[in-house]
Amino acid sequence: MDIKEIIFWSLSTIAFITAIYTVIAKNPIFSAISLLVCFASIAGHYLLLNAQFLFIVHIIVYAGAIMVLFLTTLMLMNLNEETEKHKPAIAQIAALVIAVALGIVLMLAVRKANVILTMGPMTDSIGDVKSLGTVLLSEYFYPFEFISVLLLSAMVGVVLLMKKDKTAALK
Amino acid sequence: MRALTYTSFLGIACLVLEIFNLRKIVVPVVVIALLAILGINFTEWNGSSVSFYNDMLRADNFALAFTGLLIVTAAGLVAMSGSFYDTEETKLADYISVIVFTLCGGIALVSFSNMAMLFIGLEVLSISLYILAGSKRRDIRSNEAAMKYFLMGSFASGILLFGITLVYGATGSFNLAQIALYASGPGVDPIFVVGVIMILIAMLFKVSAVPFHFWAPDVYEGSPSLTTAMMATLSKVAAMAAFYRLFSVSFVNNFSGFAWILSVVAALTMLVGNLTALNQDSFKRMLAFSGIAHAGYMLLAIMSLYQNTANALFFYTVAYTFASLGAFAIGISVMKRRKSEKIEAFNGLGKSNPFQAVALTVFMLSMAGIPPLAGFFAKYYVFFEAIKTQHLAVVIVAVITSAISVYYYFKLILAMWTKDSEETDAPAGAISYIAIAAICLIVTLALGILPSLVPSINQVASK
Amino acid sequence: METPQSSYIPIIIQAVFAAGFVATMLGLSHLVGPKRKSQIKDENFECGIKSYGNARIPFSVKYFLIAILFVLFDVEVIFLYPWAVNFKVLGIIGLYKMLLFMGLLLVGFFYIIKKGALEWE
Repeated sequence: MDIKEIIFWSLSTIAFITAIYTVIAKNPIFSAISLLVCFASIAGHYLLLNAQFLFIVHIIVYAGAIMVLFLTTLMLMNLNEETEKHKPAIAQIAALVIAVALGIVLMLAVRKANVILTMGPMTDSIGDVKSLGTVLLSEYFYPFEFISVLLLSAMVGVVLLMKKDKTAALK
Repeated sequence: MRALTYTSFLGIACLVLEIFNLRKIVVPVVVIALLAILGINFTEWNGSSVSFYNDMLRADNFALAFTGLLIVTAAGLVAMSGSFYDTEETKLADYISVIVFTLCGGIALVSFSNMAMLFIGLEVLSISLYILAGSKRRDIRSNEAAMKYFLMGSFASGILLFGITLVYGATGSFNLAQIALYASGPGVDPIFVVGVIMILIAMLFKVSAVPFHFWAPDVYEGSPSLTTAMMATLSKVAAMAAFYRLFSVSFVNNFSGFAWILSVVAALTMLVGNLTALNQDSFKRMLAFSGIAHAGYMLLAIMSLYQNTANALFFYTVAYTFASLGAFAIGISVMKRRKSEKIEAFNGLGKSNPFQAVALTVFMLSMAGIPPLAGFFAKYYVFFEAIKTQHLAVVIVAVITSAISVYYYFKLILAMWTKDSEETDAPAGAISYIAIAAICLIVTLALGILPSLVPSINQVASK
Repeated sequence: METPQSSYIPIIIQAVFAAGFVATMLGLSHLVGPKRKSQIKDENFECGIKSYGNARIPFSVKYFLIAILFVLFDVEVIFLYPWAVNFKVLGIIGLYKMLLFMGLLLVGFFYIIKKGALEWE
């Protein structure tokens, strides 16, 4: 086996196991940590595909910032009480059936897929930060600027939903 | 497509006004600016160069017409927000900026020509709506609405993104025209089909079609009423137009495989929406189910895709938007005065406020599709298109369900005119609600008498 | 900047070395260090006030506000990276595009300050 293949299979195994553990873990903190490991192994996949920017984003934003948010959210809740009720068995079975069906459909579709036809030649520069930056700031500059609207909207939302009302405090 | 850029800057201008403590003038400034943008928008009508920003957006007549409708809707909502948020003056500019950002998302959704714009537009629209849905922080129902909407909406966004990825994997492009080129070619890849179905699911979720409608009643009921009005009009119209645009441009050639899925979904949506609306006693919940049912009628237009359906869909959305917006304008003013969201709150409105009662009656009749009003022609056009494309069975379901719908619309009308209320003192309500309702009333009546007032959106100039 | 994946091998070696160093040191201190066990020694706080209650109490939501704002600006900063790598290629136009993006978010930043979202009440 090629070294790349070995890395691929070990990363996939880790990602798979940790993803399942995220769902089934009883303790939410374990769930979050396992998700963190899952993110890290997916970031490794990005690196294998030479998508450096995605790798960096995944580590900094997802594994770094979003996970901090998840953990903070867990701290906001009262973890001592076991308040979460288990879903009825029928819902669990239905979810399982749908997930398995989706998985089978995707696998069959991907097996039959013939994807590389329309792509350009595969070179080392595909997916690296430099070529991504060129595309982002030339062809995709409008969506890029539009993202700032998305971020601003989220900012206003955070302040709107979380900041204590000054007038209410005065009354 | 300068409207999107200007609207984005308008939203940011709201924040600047807030920074400089000018929130007193924000409502008139935004309404006037929106009307100005509306004017600018229509200067591009029938334009010869429609592709903007490296073909990210296309300012064809379809996009311009829907952009105009969305801007008018947003202007109405902003005009009402001044009196709706009168207890939270310090937050007024924030609310209005989020409303304008929602409009930005909507405009991106109706004019996109690239999957990247579709996704970002949908996210801008959705995230702004999640915020507004939860903006009543002390109200547990508002929290629940925001939470439900956020979880389910982000899941749908995830499915949409997955679908876009698969389509990209098959076609190698985000551009709608490129995707259409691929789709019309021989040998479409299986992952393309899976991708399109995933996109279909996400879009059906966003327009709250059965069986992806479960979020709608709870979210509509729990959100602040003005946000509910926004979800029922702006967000639904934008999602519907995006749906139509995506499928009419990109996937029209392999559409025969999806048409039967859509016809089943449309029939189910009309049945479930109308039948469940029958025994609702909350005004907002009733309108939520009525909104689901209307999504079903609009799906008829998407189902029978071909040249003229864009006109039918546009007419339907215009009629539906104005009737809904007007109904919410009066509904909000009544619910605010009576401090209740039940249909009983409307008891005796005919005696205390005859104008409001008359207007609300007209809106309800228009939504039910009673002949001389806009809603009748809307349904007529949509049914006509569906019959032309041999979807007779679905049209029969549509006709039967619209007959059923008359019953629950009349429940509200009867409450207003025949029942008496214990509360006799009913002040008129803020002037902005009445003004919006009056404008909607005029439009609803005018379109009923002269349906040709709505411009045909077939592009005259070449692309 | 053509980088085949094999150029990551030094990084992997470094990561393995770092992890190995930590593991070795921990193991070594466990093996070599003295071991004294008693009930008092094993308490969370060997000296001072006796601990009571549970450490898992709900946090204040104020932390969350800061955390979300951090994420938003984190995302903004991430976009600087592909621009910075292409700084010379994109030239002055690229600078303007980036300034527009940053400027729009700067409005958001001033808005946050104006609203007092960063004040700790």
